[in-house]
Amino acid sequence: MPEILKLAGVVIVVVGLALRLRTTLVVLTAGLVTGLIAGLPLFTSAGVFEGVPVLTSPGKEGIVNILGRAFADNRLMTLFIVTLPAIGLAERYGLQEQSARFIRRVSAATVGRLLITYQLFRVLMGILGIRLLGHPAFVRPLVFPMALGAAEAEAGTTTASALPEREVERIKAGSAASENYGNFYGQNLSPVQAGVLLVYATLNAPGIGYAVSLWSIVLYAVPVAALSVAVAAAQFLLLDRLLRRSLRGAR
Amino acid sequence: MPSPANITAALLSLDTVYVLTGLVLFVFAWLNFRDSENSNRAGSALFWLALGVIFMLGSVMPHWLTGLLVLLMVGLDGAGRVGHRPRSGETTKTGQAAQRETTLGNRIFLPVLLIPLLALAFALAFRLAGGDTSRGALVGLGFGGIAALWAGTALTGGSTAEALREGRRLNDSMGSVIILPQLLGSLGVIFAASRVGDLIAEGIKGVIPEESLFLLVAANCLGMTLFTLVMGNSFAAFPVITTGVLIPLIVRPFGVDPAMAAIVTLTAGSTGTLMTPMAANFNIVPAALLNMRDQYGVIKFQVPFALTMWVLHVLVLWLMIRLL
Repeated sequence: MPEILKLAGVVIVVVGLALRLRTTLVVLTAGLVTGLIAGLPLFTSAGVFEGVPVLTSPGKEGIVNILGRAFADNRLMTLFIVTLPAIGLAERYGLQEQSARFIRRVSAATVGRLLITYQLFRVLMGILGIRLLGHPAFVRPLVFPMALGAAEAEAGTTTASALPEREVERIKAGSAASENYGNFYGQNLSPVQAGVLLVYATLNAPGIGYAVSLWSIVLYAVPVAALSVAVAAAQFLLLDRLLRRSLRGAR
Repeated sequence: MPSPANITAALLSLDTVYVLTGLVLFVFAWLNFRDSENSNRAGSALFWLALGVIFMLGSVMPHWLTGLLVLLMVGLDGAGRVGHRPRSGETTKTGQAAQRETTLGNRIFLPVLLIPLLALAFALAFRLAGGDTSRGALVGLGFGGIAALWAGTALTGGSTAEALREGRRLNDSMGSVIILPQLLGSLGVIFAASRVGDLIAEGIKGVIPEESLFLLVAANCLGMTLFTLVMGNSFAAFPVITTGVLIPLIVRPFGVDPAMAAIVTLTAGSTGTLMTPMAANFNIVPAALLNMRDQYGVIKFQVPFALTMWVLHVLVLWLMIRLL
């Protein structure tokens, strides 16, 4: 079979996600199809499956076995479930509310400075290993309204409708982006977050066998994380300049 | 007779934390099963029960059995049998808990901060005992979760039962998405075993001379970013690029520290995540949440940042290999 057919799994993911099918199902189907195209059997020929025809093939690890092995190895990535009761209880007694108060106390004069501050807050949460559903929990109810307020002050109005729609769209996009930037690069600064654990599990897997420590992974994530904060700050300050020009012009 | 030292070592192992996580999942499964207002109670309960079994027994169960349990979980989710419709009044419209009036102020952060603190403390303790600090951090995360639960009940006056109910609410609000990183990582391993990475490596070897480190680093980052763009996620791309390209073409021939090369490769993938509509949770859903006119507005804003960061990834990785 031509090698290129192995990319069928990639096509399945693209089409499946584009059609908004259940992600878990799309991912698993892609894995099964790719494995079968590559000539892997469903099961390893050992134990109860010893010598079973069709389902196994001598000397090859089965797809279901690989799935089970990898899923068990990657349990690290989902270990945070053990912290959910404590976090849930803290939320019940005002964790989100208090975090919101914490952010609101930031008196950032401009949209850009506010977004830089929020990104830093998000990086800090990443370092502490705290997972947030940032877009629904902070960006929509908190960061965007505060950014809009800063823009209104800049334009000398008190209503959002007085702001040009193009600028409001920019502020919305920037608010969502500051969450993504802080989340993606901040989380690698903690040894107990998913990305670092994936690197750890992958490099330490028996087939690869490097003895790598979580702390060295975190250490080498620092330069890129620092750069991400700097590049984002430049973009947000540039946004400030853009807004200043067009809002003062609109006044 | 096992010595006390052996018993302590066994209690402080990663497997203990896996068992604790399994127990928490069993409680979530039970609460789902008892919830008569949840139309998916049986399916949801079975899903979390299966995950609990994998957590508890994953180190000793045969891999094919773990694999079949994963198939069962995905089957249940694919059939729309997993999920919990919140009862009215239980949650607000953003899915957060209805909050109790308290006068705790910033003290509410204390139990939550206990989790990273204990992760750090365990890592240090493991180091002093001559153990593996990585394992220490993970064991500390597990015990930190329990300590934070205890501290939280002491601080708020809430009960453990209330905490477990709140934990289940958080768990159910994420639903089957919780296992997605773990599942995507596993997909990457299946792709790697099917030698998908070799295809990419062959392509790279055809164009780039094997002694040209800078071009290989660029090709490695490009492969990671493109694969992430297409898949919408860096977690599935990572094992493929790492085993297919990074290790055979860069780490082994040039004697590079694998931890350094791997984490920069992973975040090179993140630049792809910022630019793809396939990563709907990060790029499309927020645009909808903010009622943006252009559903690709967030992506368009992020593209200049992502491209700049991509170039910086190549430079940083190349410089770190050259200088360190």
